[in-house]
Amino acid sequence: MKRLTPRRACVVALVLFGALLALSALPAGAQEAAKEPAYREFPYIGSRLAVWAVAQLHLNFAAFILGVPIFAVIIEIIGWRTSDARYDWLSHEFVKLTFAAFSTTALLGALLLFLFVGYYPRFWGYMTSVFFPTYWVYALLFFAETFTVYLWYYGWDWLSGSRKWIHVGLGVLSNLFGTAILFVANSWVTFMMSPAGVNEAGAVTGGVWAAINNFTWMPINIHRLIANIVFGGTIAGAYAAFRFLSATTDEERARYDWMGYVGNFVALSAFIVLPFAGYWLGREIYAFNQTMGITMMGGFMSWLWIIQAILIGILFLGSNYYLWLGMERIPGAERYRKYVPPMLIVLTIGFMVWATPRSMVVTLDEARAMGGTHHPLLGFLGVMSAKNTVVNLMILTTFLSYILYRRANKVSTRPWVKTGMALQWAALGLAAVVVVFYGVYGYFVESIVRIGFSVYQVLAVLAAIVLVMAIDVPMFKGASSTGTIRWGTIAPRSQYVLILLAVTFTWLMGLMGFARSGIRQHWHVYGILRDTSPDAVTPALGYASNVITVVTLAFFALVMFIFWLGGLGEKGKAGAHAHAAPVLAGGSDTDR
Amino acid sequence: MRLPVSVKVGLFSIAVMGGYSYFANSIPQIESRPPQELSLEGGNVTPAQLVKAGEEIFKTKGTCEICHRIGQKGTRAPDLAGVGGRAAKMKPGMSATQYLVESLVNPNATIVEGYPPIMPAVDKPPIALNRSELWALTAFLQSLGGTVEVALADIPATAGGESGAGGAATAVALPGDPKAGKAIFTGKGTCMACHKAGDVPGTPVGPDLSQIAQIQTPDYIMKKILDPKGMGTVANFPPGVMPQDFGTRLTAKEYTDLVAFLLTLK
Repeated sequence: MKRLTPRRACVVALVLFGALLALSALPAGAQEAAKEPAYREFPYIGSRLAVWAVAQLHLNFAAFILGVPIFAVIIEIIGWRTSDARYDWLSHEFVKLTFAAFSTTALLGALLLFLFVGYYPRFWGYMTSVFFPTYWVYALLFFAETFTVYLWYYGWDWLSGSRKWIHVGLGVLSNLFGTAILFVANSWVTFMMSPAGVNEAGAVTGGVWAAINNFTWMPINIHRLIANIVFGGTIAGAYAAFRFLSATTDEERARYDWMGYVGNFVALSAFIVLPFAGYWLGREIYAFNQTMGITMMGGFMSWLWIIQAILIGILFLGSNYYLWLGMERIPGAERYRKYVPPMLIVLTIGFMVWATPRSMVVTLDEARAMGGTHHPLLGFLGVMSAKNTVVNLMILTTFLSYILYRRANKVSTRPWVKTGMALQWAALGLAAVVVVFYGVYGYFVESIVRIGFSVYQVLAVLAAIVLVMAIDVPMFKGASSTGTIRWGTIAPRSQYVLILLAVTFTWLMGLMGFARSGIRQHWHVYGILRDTSPDAVTPALGYASNVITVVTLAFFALVMFIFWLGGLGEKGKAGAHAHAAPVLAGGSDTDR
Repeated sequence: MRLPVSVKVGLFSIAVMGGYSYFANSIPQIESRPPQELSLEGGNVTPAQLVKAGEEIFKTKGTCEICHRIGQKGTRAPDLAGVGGRAAKMKPGMSATQYLVESLVNPNATIVEGYPPIMPAVDKPPIALNRSELWALTAFLQSLGGTVEVALADIPATAGGESGAGGAATAVALPGDPKAGKAIFTGKGTCMACHKAGDVPGTPVGPDLSQIAQIQTPDYIMKKILDPKGMGTVANFPPGVMPQDFGTRLTAKEYTDLVAFLLTLK
């Protein structure tokens, strides 16, 4: 077992003590809040900006430390079952990144709490009156999570060999605790959006469970859980890219090339299903309150979705480009190069359609010339029928990229390979036809009917993905190889793609955070507790984007600093380390 | 000179985020401002003023325009062109005023064929129009092809009662003495320096309170005295003028007397 140094023990104790102190002060804080002014003014930047920045930073770190362990434990299990030490090393490397960010996450959480108690006492008092029982659940889960993760990390060597199953169990357990923490915190946030269990005056009528189980709670739980995995994958990929670019030896480059590939693979796998969770969340928002849903999609926030579309388009294009670049280091991949131009065309057209606004803010003369605020031709591409269609086609295309990458250096030896391939193409083609059919049909029906079409489109895509994979796995089992992957020889620009993906996804998270919070407009708790502070104005996108950029920069600066700090402990003892990095250059074809 | 990797990566990241920020700053910048509270204290408004105020509510606080168009068929909600004229024929036994008011405060009572039942009650949060605003909005709707005939008395006393931001006048017995309250209004409270109140003369710095009890709830009036800033500024009046210190300047009895007096202004 690794040694828990006095310094580390002090940090752990301080974080836990801080969290306990903050929690024990909550009832008193809530009582004080009743006597105190509704708001206090944070110096220079104002209370809203202070809370916004700290909340977003906390959320970024929390997403990272909750997302990475999910795939770290899966990779550990793969290493355990296949007895492949490289996966064990990779899993340990991922958890090491998480571990370094753990205390920062907790400290930012405590800071956020202090800001709420100090600067928004009336709001905090109200939230406490509804959710106080959950605070203790949160604290207990936090303790459990902390101890489990510490045991998981420090027990890596101690619980190896025949005791590995216990170690894997700790990893699974820490993920369960982490997910539970996420769910509890989400109940507070979603209550603010879609309050339940209270009457119009805000008095609790249905108990704390009714408040927790509000309209948007479960959709956000699922959406955030998936998004955390994407986020963790992109950050781990960016870390690997940085190490790749800084590497001085071929071995090191190969190792971090592989790590970057796995990070991107994880991110991409989760990213493909993320839009479906987004649909669900959107539907629940409409189900809770039509006004809120319409304000979100068609009101002052409508342009936000254009920016979101551009960011998601960049993520799709970037992920695919990385895979195509990666195929250059795989002998045999030349066979599939011909598919790249059509896939690029589909992705580019999809990107353009998705980023087309429905209506534009124009002058009266321009509107007269155009015959309204909708462009006579492009306006048709700005509606959800077109957007849902192209995003589903982009998902199918990205999946196809992955499938081609997966088989880049493999030749199936199965006698039924032709039938299998035909079935796969048929499944993909049929899904595309279903998607396009409902996309076009959507223009000819009422909106209430059209909304339901997105479900058929999603189901067609998911069914195709499942079917193609179900055929692909047995078809390429025991396949012959056209050569080994030349890890470390990928073009350096691919590493900038990984960094682009991490930066873009982090920025996107900030934007979505603004959307989620902004649709409440001038309400702390929608329709229940009004924001009467000077900051009740919901800012325009320009201001919001500037804040998001600054916060994202701060996040990456902190992450780099923390990773650097974490790396200090490793310096000078890499050779003696039990998790010495594996040699990967010229690895086998099973490296993927 | 060869740049260190960290500098190259840092510059690259800044360029990417700078690009996103630049784009977000170059598109239309729309803020969402909290709606102002409309109060038609005094009630001396002409139909034209009422319609104008209603149109403003239609486009802003009422958020009606999100779904309804005037002169254009919508997919979410009916076209309101001519609604003032056809309202009287929509429901047997109901006048145009009654039908329109019912559509606003109880929208699911009658659903226009072909449209989903998605309209919220506009006197309830989050839209939370108060009685004055409902009055003005109804007048605006009547002006669309009909005759403006709605009176404040046509708006149910219970409408907007739980909006938390002003609403119906409901009968509440307070322990205060209205006579003593009037003395506070004209004396220690210095309210008449800015407000007219029935037969008490005042200046037009603040809204005329002559019918305040008919227009606003006791809850609103009590909160407004203690926290004028927090309750928002009445449209077309300067913000921040009303003193914030009545809670400490008046005794509890003086405060309840003052409220009792204001509740007599109908």
